[in-house]
Formats: sequence, structure tokens, C-alpha cells
Amino acid sequence: MVSLTINGRVVQANKGEMLLTVTRREGIDIPALCHHDAVEPFGACRLCMVEITKKEWDGWTNYVAACLYPVEDGLIVQTHSSKVNELRRTVLDLLLARCPNSPEIRQLAAEYGVTQTAYEEIPDADNCILCGLCTRVCERLGFKAISTVGRGHDKVVAPPLKEAPPDCVGCLSCAQVCPTNVIQYKDEGNKRTIWNKSFELIACKQCGKQIITRDFAEALSSQRNIPADYFELCDECHRKELSVKMGSIVSWSREAAS
Amino acid sequence: MKQRLIVTPDLCTGCRTCELACAFAHPIKGKPGRSRIYPLPTGKSEMWTPVVCLQCDDPACAKSCLVDAITRNEETGAMELDNDKCVKCMACVAACPFGCSLHDTLHDLVVKCDLCGGDPVCAHFCPTKALTCRPVTPTRRKAVV
Ligand code: SF4
Ligand code: SF4
Ligand code: SF4
Ligand code: FES
Repeated sequence: MVSLTINGRVVQANKGEMLLTVTRREGIDIPALCHHDAVEPFGACRLCMVEITKKEWDGWTNYVAACLYPVEDGLIVQTHSSKVNELRRTVLDLLLARCPNSPEIRQLAAEYGVTQTAYEEIPDADNCILCGLCTRVCERLGFKAISTVGRGHDKVVAPPLKEAPPDCVGCLSCAQVCPTNVIQYKDEGNKRTIWNKSFELIACKQCGKQIITRDFAEALSSQRNIPADYFELCDECHRKELSVKMGSIVSWSREAAS
Repeated sequence: MKQRLIVTPDLCTGCRTCELACAFAHPIKGKPGRSRIYPLPTGKSEMWTPVVCLQCDDPACAKSCLVDAITRNEETGAMELDNDKCVKCMACVAACPFGCSLHDTLHDLVVKCDLCGGDPVCAHFCPTKALTCRPVTPTRRKAVV
């Protein structure tokens, strides 16, 4: 265990934990757009910057990304000092120039008092902040269907060769974690479309409810050894099936006892 | 003392008190969460049974979770789902053969029974003792219906 001070309060933390993990547990709200617990910290968005110092630093302070900074004994942290807020305003100002139409970025910037970017807005901007969370999560899942391509101004998130990605299984995790909800998908009838690729949604054989795509279920069956017939019923029909089985077992044991 | 949940199906009357207790025991942003337990008719005369996660020895939910968001709490035996790690792929919801990994559509979160950290709230409220608790002992840590 290590002991540190955050915004004047003494807090205990586990050795090796990142500062952001600790501030989140303490309920301190630090913007952190590129972070997700499913993947390793990445430090791309720079919004989680905080001010750190130590007694022995003689008044020197440093600014670090909380998502990437492991806790230390005796650390003194300020998460919303005027200097930190100023840094965040600058980052948000730049993000606003990149994604002037993103409701998520606009709202966050407004919370920090930035309503209009001081920089030149990027023409034909989309809402992608290039944090790479989607590609990192897809890689973590093992599919590696999408990646960032190009450099600098031309950098975009895309499937290889910008065609329907052969390794995508349509699980939607990329769309779920995207902090600015850029990744579009559509569920219609028994079809799901994402990244210009179309998938069959498995329909529950009792009630027709759809949960995941056939490609995803097949990947799970083969990689994780899950019997394919587990995916034939939806959760609700599985519960009904279990209640009926339990009824049969109970009446059978009653009969056996009488 | 950590407790685990024991279900005695034929004592259930389908009153749904457990459902309410579970929802209130798992609030999300001040609102009740989705219940992780469902009393259902068995199809045999008037018999009902609560359907709840069996905390399987070989859990399909955890096996299907490619980001390892579902892990066993070794102290209580419960398979616990970490919502900060979950990427909402719905694999576990589709894979659980008992339908006990659930999508809380109101809060857009995936949830399952966590045995309330070792003090199953539903059991305290079940008026007919269809749900009861039993202390976790090393020999009795495994899942029982
Ligand atoms: S599409 Fe979303 S998740 Fe992917 S890099 Fe862009 S902002 Fe990040
Ligand atoms: S929905 Fe969440 S907990 Fe379930 S398998 Fe997907 S990532 Fe894991
Ligand atoms: S033990 Fe807790 S989480 Fe599980 S069903 Fe009962 S109230 Fe819900
Ligand atoms: S969350 Fe730390 S840099 Fe993005």
C-alpha cells in the first residue's frame, strides 16, 4: 500500500496502480477520453493531466497524464488547480478545432469554459479524435480488424485498404467504446451493418430476439470452446427453459420420495 | 461471514419480492438497477422458481468474455462482472446457457448476480424461504442449485 494526498485528502492506494484508477475510485471527475479499463493506458488525449509534487521537491511541480502515472508514496496531487484547468482548456481548444461538430467534445469544452476554438477549424472535420480506443479494443479482443492508417492530417481509423474488414465479426465493441460515438452501425431485420460489412444476427429459435452476430458466435465457439447450441436461445428463453427444467426435477424427486 | 445463495424451487410463490430487493440492492446513478433474479413459472401445476446465476464451475460468461471482465471472487465464489472493463459486446449475454448475464437496457450496462458481495439481499427478503443463505465454507464453496 502507498499513501498519497489528492486535493488535500490522504488516500491509500495499491502499489503499481495508475493515478487515474485511484482518482476514479475516490469519485474525482477527471476527463479521460482515451482510457478504458479493458486496454492498457495509452496517453493519447492528454485530458487527464494533473499536477504533482512532493514535500522534498522544494516547491517544484510537474504535470503528468494520470492514466499513465503509477502512484507513489508521498505524492501530492492536484486534479483541478488553475494551472491544470488551463492545460485542459488548451487541449480542449485543440480538440474543438479538430472536431467542431462533436456534441461530446463541445459539452466537455463548455464545462471548461471553451465555447469557440482559438485555432483554425479543420475543414470537413469528422468527430474522430484519433484516440485509437476502437483499434486498441479490437486488438485486445483478438480480431485486429481495424487500425489507424495514414499520418498527420490524413490519419484516419479504417479497416485495411478501406474495404469491408475481413476479420471483423460485428461485435460492436469499437462503437461502444468510442468516446465521441463516431462509429456508425445499423441493425435492421436480421442484418447488422458496420464498417461496410453486413452480418447475420442470430435470432432466438423460440422468440426471435437477436443478441449477437453469427460470425461472433462462431468465433467464440471455436476460440473459447463454447458449444454452438448455447447461442440458439436468447437470455429470456434460456431462463424459461431453466425454470421448466427445475420444475421437472422437483416433481420427479417428489414422485421418487412418495 | 460470507454467505452464498441456496434456492429451494418449490417454496417460491412467484411474489417477485426478490426481484425488487435485487434491483434496489444494485442502484445505478440513484435509480434501481435491473434485477439479476427472476421468479418464473415452472409449468408444473402452481410451482414457481427463482432463476438466478448458478456461479458455474465452468462459466460460459467468463469464457466468452474476451477482455476478461468477468472473474471469480475467490472469497464468495461469485462470478463478478467489472463494468469499467466491459466493452458491451454482449458475448456473455448470448453465451450463458441459463440467461443469467443480462443487458440492463435502461442504464445500458451488462449485469449479473454478484451474490451481493457475500450477503445475498434477495434471500433476506424472500417471505417463503425459497431463497436462503448458507455460510461459505471451504468444502461448500462450489455452485449448488
Ligand atoms: S473512432 Fe472513436 S474510438 Fe476510434 S479513434 Fe476515433 S474517437 Fe477514438
Ligand atoms: S458484454 Fe462485457 S462482460 Fe460480457 S463478454 Fe462482453 S465485455 Fe465481457
Ligand atoms: S444474491 Fe444479490 S445479486 Fe444475486 S440475485 Fe440475490 S440480490 Fe441479486
Ligand atoms: S485518458 Fe490519459 S491521456 Fe487520455
